[in-house]
Amino acid sequence: MKKNDIIGGGIFIALGIFIFTQTWNYPSPEKGHPGPDLFPNLLALLFIGFGLALILKARKLVSAEAEIVPGPKRIANALFVLAIVAVFVGVVNFVGFLITSAVLLFLLMKKLGVTILKSAIASIIITLFINLMFSKILRVPLPYGILGW
Amino acid sequence: MDIVLQGLSLLINFKVILVIVVSAIYGLFVGAIPGLTATMAAALLIPFTFFMDPVPALVSIVTMSAMAIFAGDIPAALVRIPGTPSSAAYTQDSFELTKQGKGELVLGVDVVFSAIGGLMGAIILMTSAPLLAEIAFKFTTFEYFWLAAMGLSATVMVSRGSQIKGALSMILGLFFSTVGVDITLGYPRFTFGVIELLNGVNFIPAMIGLFGVSEVIRSVMQGELAYPIARVRAEKIFSGIFKMFKRYKVNVLRSGLLGTFIGILPGAGADIAAWIAYAVSKRSSKEPEKYGAGSIEAIVDSGTANNACLAGDWVPALVFGIPGDSITAIVIGVLFMKGLRPGPMIFETQPDIVYAVYLAFILANLLMIPFGYLAIKASSQMLRVPRNILMPGILMFSIVGSFAINNSIFDVGMMLVMGVTGYFMEANGFPVAPIVLGIVLGPIVEKNFMMSMIKTDWDATQFFTRPVSAILCIVTLFIWFFPLFAAVLEKTRKRNNR
Repeated sequence: MKKNDIIGGGIFIALGIFIFTQTWNYPSPEKGHPGPDLFPNLLALLFIGFGLALILKARKLVSAEAEIVPGPKRIANALFVLAIVAVFVGVVNFVGFLITSAVLLFLLMKKLGVTILKSAIASIIITLFINLMFSKILRVPLPYGILGW
Repeated sequence: MDIVLQGLSLLINFKVILVIVVSAIYGLFVGAIPGLTATMAAALLIPFTFFMDPVPALVSIVTMSAMAIFAGDIPAALVRIPGTPSSAAYTQDSFELTKQGKGELVLGVDVVFSAIGGLMGAIILMTSAPLLAEIAFKFTTFEYFWLAAMGLSATVMVSRGSQIKGALSMILGLFFSTVGVDITLGYPRFTFGVIELLNGVNFIPAMIGLFGVSEVIRSVMQGELAYPIARVRAEKIFSGIFKMFKRYKVNVLRSGLLGTFIGILPGAGADIAAWIAYAVSKRSSKEPEKYGAGSIEAIVDSGTANNACLAGDWVPALVFGIPGDSITAIVIGVLFMKGLRPGPMIFETQPDIVYAVYLAFILANLLMIPFGYLAIKASSQMLRVPRNILMPGILMFSIVGSFAINNSIFDVGMMLVMGVTGYFMEANGFPVAPIVLGIVLGPIVEKNFMMSMIKTDWDATQFFTRPVSAILCIVTLFIWFFPLFAAVLEKTRKRNNR
C-alpha cells in the first residue's frame, strides 16, 4: 500500500498540474473577476495539496508485508471483461444487440470457467431477459444489426 | 389528511404495487449476495426509473434500499460475510451467535428490528421534513453554498479508511462535475472537442461504471468464492422476538433516533449509522465483553440504526437537494431527470409525490417482515448463485443500462472508464462513495458561490454575516478542523500522562 500511495499521490499532483495547463487561457468576465477557471483552479490546488499529504504520509508508513498480487489468470479475466465492453461498443451497431450480447456473454462465462452448455443456456436466457426488459417493456431501441436482430 | 389520501392514491395502483414487489425482490437479492451493494443496485435501477413515472421511480428506490440494507444481514449471520457494508459492524456477533445455534434468533432480530428502525425513520422523515422545508424557504445562495460545503466536508470526515484518500476521491468527483459548459460564461471546460462532453459527465453511466462495472472487475479478480453456509429453520425466526423487544426497547428507541439523525447529516449513510450505533451500544451495555463474541444487543442496536438511517438520508435530499448518502445522491439525479427540483418548493408544488414517498417507506418496512421471512427461507439458494454467471449478467445489464439513457455508445465508453477508475481506486483504499457526492454537490457549490459573488459584485462578507450562513460556516469549519483538533488534544493528553 505504501508504494501505491506514493504513485497515487503523484498521479493526483499531475492531475492538478494538468488542470492548470488547461485553465490558464480561459476567458474572464468583466473587471477581471474570476470566471470559469476559479473552481477548477481551486480543485487543482487541492489535488496538489492532498496528493503531497498522501505521499508524505506514505513515506512515514513502515512497509507492510508484501501485498497479495492477483495471479496472471485473474488479471487476464479482468482484461477480458474490459475487452468484452470494448468489443460490444465496436460491433453492436453492425451485428445487433441480440447476437452481440449472447456471444459476448457466452465467451465471458466460458473464460470464467462455466461449462459450454451452461454458458450457452445462461447467455441466451440473460440476453432474452434484457431484451424483454429494455426493448419490449421500456421500449428502448436496442441496436439492430444487418440481420435486423 | 387530504394530501395523505392523495399520496396513497398514487401508491395504490396495480403498476406501482408491481414495481414495489419487483423492487423488493431485487433489493433482497442484491443485499443478500456479498459484494453487491445497495448503491450498486440503485445505480443499476436508474435506467429503469428513467422510463417510469416519478412515483413508481422513487418508490422503487425506497423499497429496494430498505430491503437491501436488511438483506445484508443474512449472509452476515450465515456465512460471516456482510451482504452490504451496513451489516459489517455486527457481522462477527451475528456469525458467533449462529455458531452457538441461535441463527434463527439472529435473523428474527435482524428482520423485525430493521423494520422497526425503518418505520421510526419514516415517521421522523414525515414530521421533520416539512418543518425544515419552512426554514429552507429562507435559504438563499449563501446558505446553500455552505450547506453543500458542509455536506462535502462531512463526507470526507466519515469516509472509511484514510481521510486524505476520502478527500481526494471527493475532489475527483468535484473535478468530474466541472466537465462541460460552465455556469458563468457558458465556456466549455475539459471537453477536448468531444461534443458529448458539452453536457458534462453523464451521471448515470458514471454511477453504473463506478459501482457496477468496478464490482464485476473486482469479482473476477477474486475468483469464485466457496464458503460453508449455516442452515437455519426459517419458521422459528420469530420465536422470542417479543422478549427481545421488551428487554431492548430503550436500545431500539435510542438507535432509531441516532440512525435517523446520522442519515439527516449530509454524506453519512447506513454503514456509518451501524458503526456509530454499535459503539454507543457497547459503551452503554451491561455486557460489553460480549461484543464481538456474540452480542444480540449489538445486533438490535446496529440493525435498527442502519434501516432508520435510510429515511433520514431523504431529509436533506428532499428539503435542500443535498444528498444524505450515495443512494440519495442517485435519487436527486432521478428527481432532476423527472423535472422535479428537490428543495422546499417540492413540498408546495408536488406534496402528493412527497407523501407517496413517505407512505412508500412505511409500506416497504411493513412488507419487510413477510418478504424478509421468504428471503431467509430462500437464503441458502440465493447464496449459491454462481458468481461466474451472475457477474457477466450484471456486466451486460450495466452496458445496456448505460446505453439506454441517451441511446449513446459514448455513454457505454464512459461507463467503462469510470468502472476502471472505480476499481483501481478501491483496490488502493480510495473510497468511491465520495466521488458520487462530489459529482452531485459540485454544481451546487459552484453555482451558489458564483451567483452569490456576482449578485453582490464580489463582496464575500455576506457568506459570514448572514445569521444562518454564519452558523453553517462555523459548523463546516469545525468539521474541517476537528481531526486536527482531536490529534492535538490526543498528543497533549499523552504528553501529560507521561
